[in-house]
Amino acid sequence: MAQVSVTGYTDKPSVVEGETVSFYVTADNATEAQVDIVRLIHGDENPEGPGFIEEVVSSDFSGVKQVKKQFVDLGNAIRVPDSSGKLALTDSLTIATYVYATTPEKGRQVLLGKFSLHETAGYALGIDHAGRLAFWIADGSDTDEIVSQVPMAHHTWYFVAASFDAKSGKAVLHQEAIVNPYNGRLGRVAPFDHLSSVEQSLKLKIKSATTDFMWAAAGNSATVRGAFKDLLFNGKIDRSYVWNRALSLAEIKSQCGQSPIADGLVAGWDTTIGYGENGIDDIVVDVSANQLNGIGVQRPIRAMTGYNWSGKHDDWRVAPQEYGGISFHEDSVVDCQWDVTFSWTIPEGLKSAAYAARIRIGEAEDHIPFFVRAAKPKARILYLFPTSSYLAYANEMIVHHVPVAQAIGSHPAVLTKTEADYFQDPKYGRSTYDHYTDGEGVCYTSWLRPILNMRPKWRSSAIGTTWQFPRDLSATAWLEHQGYDFEVATDHDLMRDGLDLLKNYSVILTGSHPEYWNEFGLNVMEEYISTGGRLMYMGGNGFYWVISYRDGEPEIMEVRKGEAGMRAWQAEPGEYYHATSAERGGIWRNRGRAPQKLTGVGFTTQGFDACHPYFRMPDSYHKSVSWIFDGVEGEKFGDHGLALGGAAGLETERYDLLLGTPPHTKLLGSSTNWSDNYPGVHEDIMFHHPGLLGTQNPAVRADMTYFTAGNNGAVFSTGSIAWTSSLPSFGYENDVSRITKNILDAFSKPGELPGGAWTEDEKSWR
Amino acid sequence: MSNSSVGRRRLIPRWRVKSSSLSRRFRVPGTKRSLLRFEGRYNPKTLQRELILRDKKPLFWLIGLFALAFIPIAIGQQLVFSIFGSICFFAAVNVFWTLIIGTAGLQSFASLATVGVGAYAATYLSITYGISWPVMLVIGTAFGGLMGLIISIPARRLDGLYYALLTIGISEFCRNYITQSDALGGQFNGALFGADRIVPEEAMQTTTGQTIAYLTSFVVLLISLAIFRVVSGGRIGILLRTAQSSKEDESFASAIGIDFQRARLLVFLIASAALGFVGAFYATNQGGASLSLFSLDQMLLLLAMIVIGGLGKAEGAVVGTVIVVFLNQWFTSWGPWRIVLVGILMLASVLYTRNGLFGLRQQLIEIRERRKALSRATRTTRYGAFLPEQGPEIPDKGVIAEREFERAIRDQLRDWITPEIIEEHRLSPMGQHSDHLERILNYFRKQPISNKYVVYCEESYKAYRVVALSGIPGVPPRSVDDKTYSNLDEAYHAVFLRRINDLKSQH
Ligand SMILES: [Fe+2]
Repeated sequence: MAQVSVTGYTDKPSVVEGETVSFYVTADNATEAQVDIVRLIHGDENPEGPGFIEEVVSSDFSGVKQVKKQFVDLGNAIRVPDSSGKLALTDSLTIATYVYATTPEKGRQVLLGKFSLHETAGYALGIDHAGRLAFWIADGSDTDEIVSQVPMAHHTWYFVAASFDAKSGKAVLHQEAIVNPYNGRLGRVAPFDHLSSVEQSLKLKIKSATTDFMWAAAGNSATVRGAFKDLLFNGKIDRSYVWNRALSLAEIKSQCGQSPIADGLVAGWDTTIGYGENGIDDIVVDVSANQLNGIGVQRPIRAMTGYNWSGKHDDWRVAPQEYGGISFHEDSVVDCQWDVTFSWTIPEGLKSAAYAARIRIGEAEDHIPFFVRAAKPKARILYLFPTSSYLAYANEMIVHHVPVAQAIGSHPAVLTKTEADYFQDPKYGRSTYDHYTDGEGVCYTSWLRPILNMRPKWRSSAIGTTWQFPRDLSATAWLEHQGYDFEVATDHDLMRDGLDLLKNYSVILTGSHPEYWNEFGLNVMEEYISTGGRLMYMGGNGFYWVISYRDGEPEIMEVRKGEAGMRAWQAEPGEYYHATSAERGGIWRNRGRAPQKLTGVGFTTQGFDACHPYFRMPDSYHKSVSWIFDGVEGEKFGDHGLALGGAAGLETERYDLLLGTPPHTKLLGSSTNWSDNYPGVHEDIMFHHPGLLGTQNPAVRADMTYFTAGNNGAVFSTGSIAWTSSLPSFGYENDVSRITKNILDAFSKPGELPGGAWTEDEKSWR
Repeated sequence: MSNSSVGRRRLIPRWRVKSSSLSRRFRVPGTKRSLLRFEGRYNPKTLQRELILRDKKPLFWLIGLFALAFIPIAIGQQLVFSIFGSICFFAAVNVFWTLIIGTAGLQSFASLATVGVGAYAATYLSITYGISWPVMLVIGTAFGGLMGLIISIPARRLDGLYYALLTIGISEFCRNYITQSDALGGQFNGALFGADRIVPEEAMQTTTGQTIAYLTSFVVLLISLAIFRVVSGGRIGILLRTAQSSKEDESFASAIGIDFQRARLLVFLIASAALGFVGAFYATNQGGASLSLFSLDQMLLLLAMIVIGGLGKAEGAVVGTVIVVFLNQWFTSWGPWRIVLVGILMLASVLYTRNGLFGLRQQLIEIRERRKALSRATRTTRYGAFLPEQGPEIPDKGVIAEREFERAIRDQLRDWITPEIIEEHRLSPMGQHSDHLERILNYFRKQPISNKYVVYCEESYKAYRVVALSGIPGVPPRSVDDKTYSNLDEAYHAVFLRRINDLKSQH
């Protein structure tokens, strides 16, 4: 029996009544599925909590829908629309480019060409099965080639070119390396001799392919699946040129590092054109008279160092002419581009919450989540789902790629069937915690693909608990159980509507791990708090990484992990600046914006072997804040929870005046004395020395803080991801629940906060 | 081990590359092939660029065929011409026989008989109707094909030994038929002469005539090799060999879209027609045919040739022929002993080689590998868990240093495994442990992904199992046993116990 499976995605994360959300679904070995819209109430299946709870939304929509298998055309390319057929060359031609291959040995790859495998037609400059530069022509039934004398070295820039004289059948192939002290993996002391010029006659005449001229891919087609890209390339390509005549070897050699000879130039793409104030788009500009601009497919990475990177500048904003590199990956996907399977228009009056299309085919089931925000906000409380952080983790698989993953997790990974299956064929792309197949870190992640770990029941294999979205449902389930009138929105709504969204509410609750923020989002949050808003920071390791989205494309997020932080990878030297915002990537702390400045606390440790209780700190007895602990017995709290049995743990935060914690901040509680599986974070380490792990490092802890801001604003920070998972313990009635409730009750009332009168120094001790 | 240095120097210098000059690559006109395929590479020890001939076979063919063509001409003696002529003739026959046995997979012993049929038919028609030699060649080909068609009929039902016996029977029948037939020279014990010759009989007395006659034989061998190359290296040949090397033979072949029976019969017919052509050529070369073409001893001699050379390869057929013909015809003074020698060579091939002379290389490589493994197992001098000979084989030397570290740490950790440590883990697989247990756990957790144990969740909070990751994209985790655990702590401990076991058994 063929295995039935189903999954999909929506066109946007968040919708409002009257709007339509479209679902893109793929099903293996099935044509029909039962579809219902459900409201997601609780996710975590830990038996100590309420378990998985959903509620079917009764609507005319429920029923059996037609589904089909949909394919993903993986991989980056640049497509060159050419309606006048200028590049449909069948006669003499020359191609020249600059290339930096990261996996030259992986098999045939196209660099530049109009080549189609299913038609066996066209021409292309590429890399052959043995890692050698190659030029192919095909006549409709047969292919002929000329290859270079030596294989290409990986992570090395080359100037490469091929010319073909149709009259004599003679082809010339030329390669020379461009090695300076900065631009490649090796320097000049490694005595490689990369130079090779080969001449050979080719037997065939070119028949033009009907597929597009492409960088980094050939065209192909198969029954059922249809057209797709093939012979995908991994690595960088810089400025590229095509002529409609055969340049002599002398002419070719003279082109290295020069602007192109005009005689016969069909296309001359200058990849350094297009940089602006906010980065660079996906259009690759042809400076020849034909203006054959190319368009990036699946978002090739720009703002990358080029063949001529001098190493003097690490920023394309200063030296754009050294940033002609465009990076391509065979497994990149930012948009599955599927057909819409069904859509749903949000009915009037639908409660603002997390929803999902629940799709069932026999035993197979998937939930495709989306969020419904309020059309006219009425509640005083907003829960902000951190969709940017969900995107960062989308389809994370480090257990399968990172040998030390089990050391980070400090226990054996716990695999689910979905994850084990997905790893067989990771066709929906990877997360910003993973690497492309060539080892480069993944810097783009997108909503427009199935996100297997953003599902209500998902548990992270590395961590062994829920992570992100399913954990956040424990907070909204708690809000609902406590009878609060609340509404939900997402990072994407915040980025679109800004303060207009937040100012409707007295209090904003964050997700358990709101780690990824763009500058606009931070600015809005800062503005909200300083103008009287109240923030309940319900998690840990938040407000940490710099991200950016290109204007008008909120589905695709960029992250460039920099030289510090708990990071899965690090951008290559000179490639720290975002292509979609012109900002320096990395952690906000290293850009002068440590999380402490906003929330009072900032990332200090992570560990996954146990979670712990907090202990009340002296400040918590001060009358200005002691109301927070009303109804809490004893000094210890949070000694329970669905995440490893404690409210303090996983990823936690620290009060730190040196990093910008407001000086009047109260340290309400703290949790310390953790195991060595909790190391201090990287960005705190100057000299590395023994004693930086939990049992010896005082920075390994979780701090709970509270401070007031102007205009009755205030910030309460739990300092721990696990906090949210402790809310549902003991039927939602517990000390974590009680503290959260005390804060929320105070924060959701307008006007002055409790305890504001207790402003004077203690005169005499009891 | 007083001196452990290793290293090999190259005596013949490699082709020097002048990278700044244009390298012109020539192709055999009309084809996409270069005669000799030189490949550039970076010497892994020096990064020096060098050209190497990856496939030396074409070079050996060139040298071998060149020698075959010019040695007799250079010597210019009749005996030598005769011996080399035999070599060309028998080699051509053996090449096609190889096609029949190796490619078509039919155990036919009627190859020489097919040659005979071609020769007799061409001779008879030439004598009777005065047909000239070019037409004789066509007739021989036709009769060879016809003969192939006839002996192919039983091949549809018979296989292996039975088919071999049947084809010997057919040869014997032909021989008997000729001795009974006056028209085919029965009264002269089968000697039928007087056919048209390519080189007229009187010219055969001159060295020029002998040279031309020899060169025609050589050309026939070249044609045979070309046909072998086209059939065996073509689509049918490749598919047939793929099918034969797989267990399911015919079902596999039909699965990849090839009618196995039809394909092998087609190859058989092509080879038979070609054998008929060789027979007709024999007639035009000798001026007729003789009964030795059907004799069992001649056939056994042919068998010796392909067994000594190695079955299934054209070079085996040719070199085996050279050896046997040379022994047989040069050392005539040895009398029957030379036949004994051929027998001994054949026996030695069967007993000591896997596939004749041309299987020896692979055999030597395997012997060397076995000796390497043996040496690895017995030697105690280790440099970071490796032998000096292994150094050059490991591209990333960091691996050597890390392996040494791991080996030392394992020795330490093994000493710390006690029942108390195991009980400590059982009671609490997570959290802070004693220093020794923490260090053991950290060693386990940092191991590479390939074969690394993880827990597999069959049902949340109900059923967990232990599996091992492949570490290879596309390859699913391997299940290590069928035990299930009802909670994670038990599963974690099961992983721990497996790792402890592995650590104990690993050195
Ligand atoms: Fe994170």
